[in-house]
Amino acid sequence: MNGAQHILEAFHRHDISTVFGYPGGCIMPLYDALVDDVDVEHVLCRHEQGCALAADGYARASGKLGVCIATSGPGATNLITGVANAHRDSIPMLVITGQVPSGLIGTDAFQETDVLGMTLGIVKHSYLIDDADTLPVIMEEAMELAQSGRPGPVWIDIPKDLLLAEVAAAPLPAPEPRENTCPNLTQALAMLRTARKPLLYSGGGVSLAKAEAPFRIFAESSALPAVVTLKGIGNPGKHNPYNLGMLGMHGSRAANRAVDECDLLLVIGARLDDRATGKLDGFAPNAKMIHIDADAAEINKLRPADLSIRGDLNDILAALTDALENTPLAIGDWQKQCRTWYTTGGFQAADNEEPLAPITGPAFIRQLSRIAPDDTVIACDVGQHQMWVAQHYEFDHPRHHLTSGGLGTMGFGLPAAIGAQFADRNSTVINVTGDGSFMMNAQELATIRRYNLPVKLIVMDNQCLGMVRQQQELFYNNRESQINLDDNPDFVAMARAFDIPALYIERTDQIRRGIETILAFNGPMLLHVAISREENVWPIVKPGASNREMIDETRRTSTANKEQVA
Amino acid sequence: MTPQTDSPMPSYTLNCRMSREAAALERLCQVVRIRGFRIATMAVESAGDHLDIALTLEGTRPITMLQSQLEKLHTVAEVALGQGSSVRVQSA
Repeated sequence: MNGAQHILEAFHRHDISTVFGYPGGCIMPLYDALVDDVDVEHVLCRHEQGCALAADGYARASGKLGVCIATSGPGATNLITGVANAHRDSIPMLVITGQVPSGLIGTDAFQETDVLGMTLGIVKHSYLIDDADTLPVIMEEAMELAQSGRPGPVWIDIPKDLLLAEVAAAPLPAPEPRENTCPNLTQALAMLRTARKPLLYSGGGVSLAKAEAPFRIFAESSALPAVVTLKGIGNPGKHNPYNLGMLGMHGSRAANRAVDECDLLLVIGARLDDRATGKLDGFAPNAKMIHIDADAAEINKLRPADLSIRGDLNDILAALTDALENTPLAIGDWQKQCRTWYTTGGFQAADNEEPLAPITGPAFIRQLSRIAPDDTVIACDVGQHQMWVAQHYEFDHPRHHLTSGGLGTMGFGLPAAIGAQFADRNSTVINVTGDGSFMMNAQELATIRRYNLPVKLIVMDNQCLGMVRQQQELFYNNRESQINLDDNPDFVAMARAFDIPALYIERTDQIRRGIETILAFNGPMLLHVAISREENVWPIVKPGASNREMIDETRRTSTANKEQVA
Repeated sequence: MTPQTDSPMPSYTLNCRMSREAAALERLCQVVRIRGFRIATMAVESAGDHLDIALTLEGTRPITMLQSQLEKLHTVAEVALGQGSSVRVQSA
């Protein structure tokens, strides 16, 4: 077998049946080997960025390894945004690129780029193969590395001649046994029992550790008031009475208030990102903090923990649940207080009763949340619509909410939805996007059509870059700069050009019929939703300010809101 | 990050052992830079399959943060903070 065939052998060993890629000169030996392979489905996207983001969406929705493939030079550089996206959100991904033949590396050969050098900052690890015989072992190591500990993308760059070279047979290393020792939780339990106002703060680490079930059990049995980060949405479940929703820059008043007043913060699988904490000096000022995470480098990175615990969240959460089972926490007053805050400061948005009124983002998302099946996967893009989904869609599982949290990649949603649909051909997958984000990877409509994926597309169109416009209005004296998109193409006609049917709505009384129509349609369909250009996401915390200084619509015109960002 | 004239600049020595792989030193230097430190001196010795790297670093962030980030690198076997760490005055 040659190097290319060994790559496919590694896919077979690890049950990798779906990969996303785009061929080209230096990766052609692998594409030649794919011709004879019936066990690996290769999904041809229309841009390498689409390949990487689809692999990312596949991994997020399934919990499996996402795989993307491209050629050297522009193929590799086009992958970079998608790989950076996976890196920032710790998504398990294997990236394989062809490189110019070994003897031509460093000669400025056609389609040569220093892939290893230019990707160092966006991978968990990377390899440049210099000996074909090392390829099988490196494939094993790379797949293990991408999925273990804190997951992330691992990139293997392979010169074309080594893809063609015969590889000597050699035994593969045995997988290392998993350490199964739960850390000592005595001190954590003592702190929980002493606290009068403990708060559960969870993030994307819960689903990265595949600890969704033990987390849910712990959250329900402990009855701790809970806040979530953007990537933690869905962790507590939609029916948990103590779920206060997302905290942070666009978080609920209830969540930020609870963080402000709690006396113990139990942080699980979260990295205290600036969008969540706001100005660190003012974050949870009265609280001690227990930080539980798989990554030691996150402990004490931004805020010192009073107690840090590193380990597998599955073991830790199960042990915490057991320890609290017979003697529940006595926090009735605090629970009641948090419920009161949620009633008055949650993400409530009244439905507009006026049928001819223009559609508002929050009202549309709330209707979508009520109508779509419980196990619907929503793949968001980035901007105002992303925050309206985070605020108003009620998710029951973190893997149902695919969002670009760390990198904030416009253009993520459509290819991510493609990946999610390949992860489960029978699930309902909806890409909720904005008019700016949609145009970033609209070429992937062709991928949806080619594979007849029943992905639903909802384009919330305000004819501008709404989140940038909002911050220019609030923090830059309303000086609009390069945000106008009122020359967008006709999205309905555009979808139809890809042979995807589409529908346009603009009034409140059209929302229900629009959503029901696309969900009932047996195949892909696009819903073009016109919304107001002037609408903002509320509340908002000015970047760099404390979460206490939330701005809501009633304070929109005050002078204090219009200070320029320093 | 441009150092302030005459402002105290903490200095640290860090000894690192890592595998000899294609981008070993670049990988190490990239993490040092992005985590907020500047390399004042760097000495590298080959030892079989490993490289032993002695660094003198300057930076105002906690050195333990850099240490934990370097320890995360797959090819890094060991990171030890030296005894010679101090605060010294940085001249323009």
